[in-house]
Amino acid sequence: MVRLRQLPNIELLAFFLLLYAFFCFYAPHFNTASNLENLLVGYSFIAVLAIGQSFPIMVRGIDLSIGSIMALGGMVLFDLSVIYEVPGYVVIPAVLLVCLLAGLLNGALVVWLRLQPFVATLSTLAAYRGVVYAISGRQLFPEMATRPITDPWLTGMDSYLDIGGVTGLDQYMEMPWLPLSFFLLVGIFIIIQTMHSKTQFGMNFKIVGGNPEAARLAGINVKLTILSAYGLSGLSAGIAAIILVTRLTTATEALGNGMELTAIASAVIGGISLQGGIGNAFGPIIGAMLLGIILLGLTLLGISQFVQQIISGLILIGAIGYDKLLSDFRMRKARAMQSGS
Amino acid sequence: MSNKKERAEQEGRRDFLKGVVLGSAALGSGLVTPGLVIGESGKAMAAQDERVKMAFVQIQPHTVSSAWSVGLEEVLSTQQTIDYQQLDGQNKVEVQVSLMDTLINEGAKVIFLQPIDSVALGPSIKKARRRGIAVITLNIDASEEHAAHVEMNHYYGAMDIAKEMGKRMGGKGKVAILNAPPGIIIRDQRTNGFVDGMKKYYPDIQIAADQVADWSRKKAQDVLSNILTAQPDITGVYGVNDSMALGGVDVCKQKGILDKMVIFGNDGETAALESIERGELTGTQFTDVYQQGRFAAAAASVFVSGGVTAKEFKQQGKLLMPYVIATSETVGSIQPAQRW
Repeated sequence: MVRLRQLPNIELLAFFLLLYAFFCFYAPHFNTASNLENLLVGYSFIAVLAIGQSFPIMVRGIDLSIGSIMALGGMVLFDLSVIYEVPGYVVIPAVLLVCLLAGLLNGALVVWLRLQPFVATLSTLAAYRGVVYAISGRQLFPEMATRPITDPWLTGMDSYLDIGGVTGLDQYMEMPWLPLSFFLLVGIFIIIQTMHSKTQFGMNFKIVGGNPEAARLAGINVKLTILSAYGLSGLSAGIAAIILVTRLTTATEALGNGMELTAIASAVIGGISLQGGIGNAFGPIIGAMLLGIILLGLTLLGISQFVQQIISGLILIGAIGYDKLLSDFRMRKARAMQSGS
Repeated sequence: MSNKKERAEQEGRRDFLKGVVLGSAALGSGLVTPGLVIGESGKAMAAQDERVKMAFVQIQPHTVSSAWSVGLEEVLSTQQTIDYQQLDGQNKVEVQVSLMDTLINEGAKVIFLQPIDSVALGPSIKKARRRGIAVITLNIDASEEHAAHVEMNHYYGAMDIAKEMGKRMGGKGKVAILNAPPGIIIRDQRTNGFVDGMKKYYPDIQIAADQVADWSRKKAQDVLSNILTAQPDITGVYGVNDSMALGGVDVCKQKGILDKMVIFGNDGETAALESIERGELTGTQFTDVYQQGRFAAAAASVFVSGGVTAKEFKQQGKLLMPYVIATSETVGSIQPAQRW
């Protein structure tokens, strides 16, 4: 039981499973293989964005520009593939590079120009969106606007694995087809979680977020850590852009509009503390999937989407309140230990 | 032998129903594009007592989509077996795609769709078609073929607006276009129709400015103010929707130049018609969107009751709505029940 309590995000996981079970019983068609497939395909890229967003939040910052970076990555992908017919195996690294650089620029504004992260990324939110409109191949070459992406390297990103057929389990029950984006998410989770727990580079994010001054005195390169946090956020927006745009077979200028709020909500619900220094790669995934099952479950129950947004907001308030309670509890505990010693 | 006869009779009945599907709607509007080909007869037929799910996925809440939904519901609610739901795409392509997936999972028989993007919803439409679900698009066409498309007559309506506007401007002068954001077919149709109309009927009228005002009255006020500061000799304004045109009216009233301006909108919402009656807005293209919703619902009802699935349409049907260029002379002919 003690071990169970030590598991990260155990309360969130329990809430997620309870809600999932509730919808399975009460929402028609929720407990189906195709609904699970919809959840995985529709929310894996949001989970990737949320993992990326967790880095700036972990170092006491925020990245409001990830929706615009995602749109930028998507438009670069569209332009290179559809307008300039560059092969997909070149397009993918190019998109990742552009998004990484956009993220690093955010980091540079925070680290070297000493702008507040909120202000810096709010500015780049507008600026990157402007770049998207400026480079939009759909506007520059209107005759290409309704041409979908057909490069097999890119369309192949929207592939599925028939897990039931492969394992033979489909003889006993209906199994979902698992999208490639889900496997990408699992791979990213393993890499990031290993980085957080096994490497100094990964641990630095929590240390810097927990106490930047102490981190500096301990010899950690705080500036590089903050820069990396925004770089990784941009990179994850690039991965999300590739997943989404290859699924839609086109990019739009408005792609990712408002996505930053969903990603921030997923990260915060997932236990990434807004006070910095706390979090892991698992929480944001559950946070994103939680928002996903709320949308799917309530839609299947026939409940208005305005109500869904209210419920999502209430859950976010609950998560932030819980974060504050935990933070106060830790503070009291630390004080008690200090006075005890 | 009798089975064969029964089958033949049933097929004949279904063929008839398929013809009725869009034919009934077309008769109502008086317009249908030629070349509508309907494929082999349907296999899945809705049982009499089976609940049938239909849903409308809108871009975001708006007077137009609300009026469509009223028209849809009016027809569908008369049939006790149909469950109808209106869903909000939250102005996000990924939300619309997710809603489409959910409806496909739910086994919806018909999805009415106002796609946020003509290409991006293509894969979802294709998936629905594979499952036999009929997708009927409203106003914004999709690049992927689907059962039917019911549209305000964007291109030709905009041409007629240009013709009427040019006449009122005396065949000369400068015009500003308050446009929609790029990336959506309707913008191109309404802009190209207007530009082509001006070239055709009044080539001496110059399109002096074409700026994005995001469908918004407030944004249109800011945009037109800037345009008029830079080019005070502009005497014509075309708003790609009514909200933007009414924003143009606000600016011209404030500057005291309304009597010198010719301002046209597009859509025909109540606020625009009332503005015309007050002598402010010069005109707009009016479409009865309640009726547009009813036509789409009528087509959907026949798809379902006739057991016609999406797979059986070899070519997408297209229905262009009739329209009126509402001006101070014609606005009185639009009945209160038609106003939305």
